[in-house]
Amino acid sequence: MGKLIFNYENCTGCRACELACSFYKEGVFAPSKSRIKIVRIDEEGLDIPIGCEHCDNAPCITSCPTRALSRNSETNAIILNPDFCIGCKQCMVICPFGAIHYNENRKIFYKCDLCDGSPECVKWCVTGGIKYHEEIEEFARNKSADRIQQFLLNLPKSTRTITTGGGKKE
Amino acid sequence: MTFDYCGYAGRTLRVDLSRGKIIKETQSKSRIEKYIGGRGADAKILFDELIPNINPLHNDNILCISTGPITGLLGPTTGRVNVATKSPLTNIYGNSNAGSDWGSELKYAGYDNIIIRGKSPKPVYLCIDDDYVELKDASHLWGQGIFETTLSLQEEHRGYDTKVAAIGPAAEKGVLFCSIIFNLWDAAGRTGTGTVMASKNLKAITVSGSGELKVAYPERYLEIVQDGWLGILNDPGFLSEEHQALGTPICVNWGNAQGWLPTRNFRESTFEGADSISGEEFRDKYSTRSSPIPGGRACMSCPNRCKRFGRIESGKYAGTRGSIEFEGIAAFGSKCGISDLEAVFHAYTLSNDYGMDCVSCGNTIATFMELIDEGIIEDEDKVDLRFGNADAMVEMVHRIAHKQGKLGTLGALGAYKATLKIGKNAVDYTTSVKGIDTIACDPRVAKGFGFTYAISSRGSDHLRTHVVFEMIKMPPEIGKEMFGSEKACDLTSYNGKVKMVLWHENLAAITDSIGSCRFMHASYYAQYPIPELLGKLHKKKKINSIKYHDWISAATGMKIDYKKLLNIGQRIVNIERALNTRFGIRRKDDTLPKKFFKPISKGPRKGQSFPKKQLEKMLDEYYNVRGWDLKTGLIKKSELIKLDMKDVLDDLEKKKLVK
Repeated sequence: MGKLIFNYENCTGCRACELACSFYKEGVFAPSKSRIKIVRIDEEGLDIPIGCEHCDNAPCITSCPTRALSRNSETNAIILNPDFCIGCKQCMVICPFGAIHYNENRKIFYKCDLCDGSPECVKWCVTGGIKYHEEIEEFARNKSADRIQQFLLNLPKSTRTITTGGGKKE
Repeated sequence: MTFDYCGYAGRTLRVDLSRGKIIKETQSKSRIEKYIGGRGADAKILFDELIPNINPLHNDNILCISTGPITGLLGPTTGRVNVATKSPLTNIYGNSNAGSDWGSELKYAGYDNIIIRGKSPKPVYLCIDDDYVELKDASHLWGQGIFETTLSLQEEHRGYDTKVAAIGPAAEKGVLFCSIIFNLWDAAGRTGTGTVMASKNLKAITVSGSGELKVAYPERYLEIVQDGWLGILNDPGFLSEEHQALGTPICVNWGNAQGWLPTRNFRESTFEGADSISGEEFRDKYSTRSSPIPGGRACMSCPNRCKRFGRIESGKYAGTRGSIEFEGIAAFGSKCGISDLEAVFHAYTLSNDYGMDCVSCGNTIATFMELIDEGIIEDEDKVDLRFGNADAMVEMVHRIAHKQGKLGTLGALGAYKATLKIGKNAVDYTTSVKGIDTIACDPRVAKGFGFTYAISSRGSDHLRTHVVFEMIKMPPEIGKEMFGSEKACDLTSYNGKVKMVLWHENLAAITDSIGSCRFMHASYYAQYPIPELLGKLHKKKKINSIKYHDWISAATGMKIDYKKLLNIGQRIVNIERALNTRFGIRRKDDTLPKKFFKPISKGPRKGQSFPKKQLEKMLDEYYNVRGWDLKTGLIKKSELIKLDMKDVLDDLEKKKLVK
């Protein structure tokens, strides 16, 4: 049971994931053909990764009139079958995350399938903005442990050191 | 796209603003074979199409905005966009380079570059949305700041998916050092490119693209790019986490420790208040996000994230926010003797919103401070302009942007032209080379940087080479191997520095032309052959490095090896030189300002200078390698023939500008 975890706090907006996704899936570099999208909000200095959350109770599956969307039992991914898709855009309208994106120029939906369990976008994310968890139960525990570790490591300012090219400097 | 080479979008957009005409033409194959793209191709376009002795603010001046073959192709640091024109600040070749993801978006829209000429009868902006390209009315935006302009244009078009390059109100008023600002925070800052854009009544360029880019050998390309990313991620400089954690503001404390942080308009080279304007201070007080990269934001496909985003929550300057970077901190901070980071941050974002180059703006203010201190001019506007007065500094930013008062009007000319107008010996207090002021590194301490300032094609500038090699702890063996002297890694030594500058200059020309960033071959020495040499030295088995030649070959399908690559670099340096000789640049202009011939008066680097004699000696060596005439600085015929630049030679010969 895998899941992509998006963390906007760690995302720097480099959009490598978009390019990796489109290259791996379509063989070209084109953010418009990527399953994942980084929304760069420049005025706030925020970069928000948006992709499919592969919801348990997925509204897109429920709303699809032709059953083009279904779940892969192995990877837990919701998969789009383009042969069944009629382009009604119901899934796009109902998705609370805006993860399913449609562009006039494309005439086709691109839907994340978790790359059969080893997502390409995660391999290219060097900051940890996107992570892949195979065991989702562990995720919550790790997150809590991380928070405590951060708290303990939060040393007062006076003790911080930084190595510079000119040597150690307090 | 049916263009012969992959990687490129394949089309050039020509915009004639006078006639409101837009032409989409196929990219010139012969030009990109010789000059690749970006900075190199732009210089060639200017050489071919620009009338040399034109007033830079005249209708017929040309503004080139362009990307390179690897822009937007997942390679590390490939978000750069290049701008070139004849500069109103220096009256010679003007060129600047910006980050963000604007450039890649332009390629996804299907264009490699834009060539703009003429002047629109009324304010307009250029809207590019894939094949739909149109000039639209911008009278409602005229006079608005960068922030307002960018946000309203995003609102009018595709929201965050629309990337905006805009100019600010200072450019409209004719301040000579204005920038074109991409996506709010990334500036093609130097040499007054924004002023040229404003003189054409062009307020902004919006881009959104949904196209695709192909590479020639996908599998090979992916391997090379992966190696490149790993090369940066495993670079000793990157691994030390200093740059990672703080971005370029790390240089405040770093420069101060090494004694090259310009202070009080280059009177000193260490600043007692460096700690309070440092990157650490910024991270702790203003960063909007905490872990693991405090406020770090990246350009397109860049692991480096050199800028830091922050916000002031309370106090006098509450609400100030933006991406901050070292040059700006030094310009408004140490150069003006100001240790109040809030005021510096505020001045930085102000000049950004007005659309001014923060380096030139800060330098101009610092020069005025010194001139008043020396009693050469008087503080006629009664702003109490003196070193360390933060309020006066912020006030001056407003005044220069509005050309208000005597100093404000003077300041709008930039430090060099202003001091010429003041007369007396005022010009001796500027730090200008070829009419543009010096960035934040004291050349009396960092000799490689100093020599670069003298020879840079756009005037005083470190980015033409970025010889950080002398600043970071590089093993002397590499200096010996690459540049013929172990002392090349020594900051204050002159040994091996000319060779070092030459290698860096050729590679920097390539970096700018392919659409990549300076950090690739300098700062992080991830570029071939340095990682290989380091690996050999430390007996490492696995080495990751960036090989531009392989990279370009795999992306475009051209056949380029390392030797040919350096050759193209030389060609680009020479086309820029050819352009500059037409504008009147000779050997006498390749010099440093008087200020740097005199020794530093106090601090740990007391007594250090860059003697004129030494500079001339280095210039001789440099000219000999470059194949330029020792006496005049003109390019030699043989060199142009060697570099296969026959067309350039023919043209220069007609004007007797070749030896």
